Amino acid sequence: MATNRNYITGFVVSSLLMLAATILVDGHILPSFGLLLAIIGCAGIAIIAQVYFLLHIDISEHNIWNTVALVMFIPLFIITIGLTWWMFSQLYMRTMPMIPGMPGMH
Amino acid sequence: MLVNVPGPWSPLLGRLALSEIPYTNPILAPLFIVIVLAGIVLIAGVTYYGKWGYLWKEWFTTVDHKKLGIMYIILGLIMLFRGFIDGLMMRTQQALGDGPGDNGMKVMGAIHGYLAPFHFGQIYSAHGLIMILLAATPLLVGLMNIIVPLQIGARDMAYPYLNALGLWITTAAVFLIMISLFVGDFSHNGWFGYAPIFELAYSPGVGVDYWIWTLELVALGTTLGSINFLATVVKMRAPGMTWGRLPVFTWTAVSANIIALTSFPCLQVALALVGADRYLGTHFFTAGFGGNLMLYTNLFWLWGHPEVYFVILPAFGMLSEVIPAFSEKPIFGYITMVLASFAIAGVSWIVWLHHFFTMGMGPYVSTEFSIATMLVGIPTGVKVFNWAFTLYRGRLTFSAAMLWSIGALFLLLIGGLTGMMLAIPAINYMVHNSVFVVAHFHMMLLCIVYAVFSAIIFWFPKIYGFKLNEAWGKIMFWLFSAGTFLVFFPMFMLGFMGETRRLDWPFNPQWGPWFDVQEIGIFVYILSVLAFLWMLYVSIRDRHANRVHTADAWGTSRSLEWLTDTPVPFYNFAMVPHINALDEVAWRREHGFMDKKPDHFKAIHMPNNTPIALYIGALTFLVGFGLTWRVWWLTLASLILAVILMIYRSNKGDPGYIIPAEKMEEMDRESKARMLSDDSHQVPHGGGFSGGTVTAYTALDRDASGSLTPPNDSRHL
Amino acid sequence: MHAQDKVVDPNEVVLWSDDYEGHDVISTRTFGFWMYVLSDGMLFATLFAAYGVLSYSHSYYTGPTPAQFVAPWYTFIQTMALFLSVLAYGFAMTALKSGSKAGVVNGIIASILLGGVFLGLNIHDVLRMISIGVTPETSGGLSAFYALTQVHAAHIFIGLIWMLVMLYQIMRQGFTEDTVGRLISLRMFWQFQAVMWVFIYIFVYLWGYMS
Repeated sequence: MATNRNYITGFVVSSLLMLAATILVDGHILPSFGLLLAIIGCAGIAIIAQVYFLLHIDISEHNIWNTVALVMFIPLFIITIGLTWWMFSQLYMRTMPMIPGMPGMH
Repeated sequence: MLVNVPGPWSPLLGRLALSEIPYTNPILAPLFIVIVLAGIVLIAGVTYYGKWGYLWKEWFTTVDHKKLGIMYIILGLIMLFRGFIDGLMMRTQQALGDGPGDNGMKVMGAIHGYLAPFHFGQIYSAHGLIMILLAATPLLVGLMNIIVPLQIGARDMAYPYLNALGLWITTAAVFLIMISLFVGDFSHNGWFGYAPIFELAYSPGVGVDYWIWTLELVALGTTLGSINFLATVVKMRAPGMTWGRLPVFTWTAVSANIIALTSFPCLQVALALVGADRYLGTHFFTAGFGGNLMLYTNLFWLWGHPEVYFVILPAFGMLSEVIPAFSEKPIFGYITMVLASFAIAGVSWIVWLHHFFTMGMGPYVSTEFSIATMLVGIPTGVKVFNWAFTLYRGRLTFSAAMLWSIGALFLLLIGGLTGMMLAIPAINYMVHNSVFVVAHFHMMLLCIVYAVFSAIIFWFPKIYGFKLNEAWGKIMFWLFSAGTFLVFFPMFMLGFMGETRRLDWPFNPQWGPWFDVQEIGIFVYILSVLAFLWMLYVSIRDRHANRVHTADAWGTSRSLEWLTDTPVPFYNFAMVPHINALDEVAWRREHGFMDKKPDHFKAIHMPNNTPIALYIGALTFLVGFGLTWRVWWLTLASLILAVILMIYRSNKGDPGYIIPAEKMEEMDRESKARMLSDDSHQVPHGGGFSGGTVTAYTALDRDASGSLTPPNDSRHL
Repeated sequence: MHAQDKVVDPNEVVLWSDDYEGHDVISTRTFGFWMYVLSDGMLFATLFAAYGVLSYSHSYYTGPTPAQFVAPWYTFIQTMALFLSVLAYGFAMTALKSGSKAGVVNGIIASILLGGVFLGLNIHDVLRMISIGVTPETSGGLSAFYALTQVHAAHIFIGLIWMLVMLYQIMRQGFTEDTVGRLISLRMFWQFQAVMWVFIYIFVYLWGYMS
């Protein structure tokens, strides 16, 4: 529901998580892969917080159709990005032997 | 930021120049004259009969889903015809060009056959684009537009204005590709484009730009339409129309539009990135500077595969309506039909790599996509079996519509089986880019065309009040099927023999006889087109004799749209129907409730017509044209004007108008009286919507010449 | 599924209904707009897919990589501007619930100003990058970088225009069915841009800076 509390909670949670991610990256606090996981975690939790507190995606009768639509799209987002990433990392691995197959290992 | 174009550019005209008009081309120059003359005759005719007011009020500014659907279908049929001419030209070029050496018609400037290669390239690119996106898609969207609200008991779509906007944006795309015939040239790179040939360095003309913006406009129009359909089915169903009672056609419309909503943005991005490469000099798909050629193919087919399921699912839905009606049985396996539709939609999202198995992603990736592609055959097979079981032990009527539907099943069988073959990478590597693939997808697309013809014949009486001529419908069917067999059966064989796609010079003389067979097939197709036109003429000429006097035109129809009067009045249902069962009309007929009228009426709320959708559509055409020719002032001005119009419309809003209950009762009585009457004066001119029929603005004032205001005692909000 | 088996009493059967049940205009509008927002999310997802392919080291050719030009704390300030703008709009929506026109107008104005700050910071950053030779024409990787960030910025720009239009409509028409539906749609649009920004900030700016 549209309450000030919800909006403030969403704001605070996502802002703190973005702050944490920036501090982690700027300070090079963790090794590379761990850092990546950490900021992905920050992003994931921030998204969930925003989607629930700000966008009111819940299973109440008023919002159920919006939730259904989002739930339908999420696998497609994952497929679009995930399968593309898999396809091209396989391709690079096989056609460009000089380049390591894992992205992020620049 | 903006790249320097090869060739002249001026701030006023962009890349436009007199040299861009092909007045020396022996085919296009006469065609242009013919079209100009035909246009003059058309405009003169409309003016002479004084029909501009009628056209403006009833068609160009309408937001009625039925009329918008009809306009979509007309658009689709015209483009089907143009695409067919392109196909005819391709067939003829290959038949004439076959054989060794330099056997072309010099007078036409051709080295082989009669078409120069750069002309042939444009023809196959336009053929593909037009047939899929500007013929099949509008035909399907049009039919869905007309039927879905009727099937769920609604009075219109959820967003009538947005509906009109989608139509006019699609029309803008049609104008853009049609004008590419006479101003500049079209893309030579096939309908789906290849990197890096579509880059500015390798395609310096405007052809690829025409292609980009036509596709972008179509994508926009279709996305807006898909939002409309989904919101309509979710929110606007009549009371008692639970999800379990939704007709199968509406279910397939829902799953198809879910596909459209989710996949068209991928197309918009893919093309926008091509545009960025060509206009801004970015390096998304270039061969150097860190670009990735294969990324384009990946992004395009991300859209491209769900797209083909977007076009086939409504066709399946149409088959699911026609076959039960003419078997006098409910559809076999309603639940599995619905589940299969969604299974197809879902799986369609994980198969797109099968369009480029040969690109080298490796065995693991190819395996996943191959298995997923084969998986999609299972729900499709379920559907085919369900149709077969519906026919089994039914009381079959082999009307023209039924023939088209059964023909569609045969084409689906061949197309589906060859599709399963193509799903296997080992086979795919052999036939990739050969005409075997072309024959496969033409089987599928023709399945859609058959289903569309079946649906048009089936639902025509509901909209227009009279049936199409059965005999000529059947003649057209047999001619069309003979043509299909003659053209595509050899094509499968040629594919195995090694003929690749898009050859303007099929150099192997051993293929010669097969090309001749295909050319005969094309002539048979021409006969079927003539049969179609003759069918239309005869049907309209004999419309009084073919009048339908009942709501249920075929006597054995099953779903809710057959509850409305014939022809359908603009408000669809005078009183909101209450749904009691699946196949509501069949249920009412069996229980003897078809003649029961409502005992009282309520006032209804209808949306107003508006010209804004037409204006915005026209402006999007100018935006596309300006972008193509890099006329920046035109692009910017049209864009800003379009935004201003959108804001203006938003500020004005549309409260609609209310028709009071007494008027509803009167109009309902008149509509039913007209349905029963045999008096030829009562028959609407030209079909269901002109002149004396119940239309929004001329309903009650037959004496008045038709005013722009709604009926006298309706209240503006 | 078929009611033929049940005995149907012709006197009890309901064939017609007075009206459509639950024909809520606002929820129809906002559901449709939410579907548009999700398709917009698909647009971003595709851009991310392209970015994923074009963010290898060879995608930057010999040119600059994000590690060399991204300023994380500057972008963090952008992030806070956007989040505050979303918060301000949230306050406008709670004011709408209590029917306070002044509350709504103030919230929207604050949202516009903060969104303008975001946009201004973005433009300033772009000018800075161009001045040091980081342009979209330099390499595929940079093309993808610019595409994601500037497509988002374009959405913000459109959102700001929309907010101005809504201010005008609220002043002129007050809280009608139409304007309330649009305000809710705008809320969903604006908040969704913040969600997209979280992804862009983490995966484009921060991850690029890390690499």
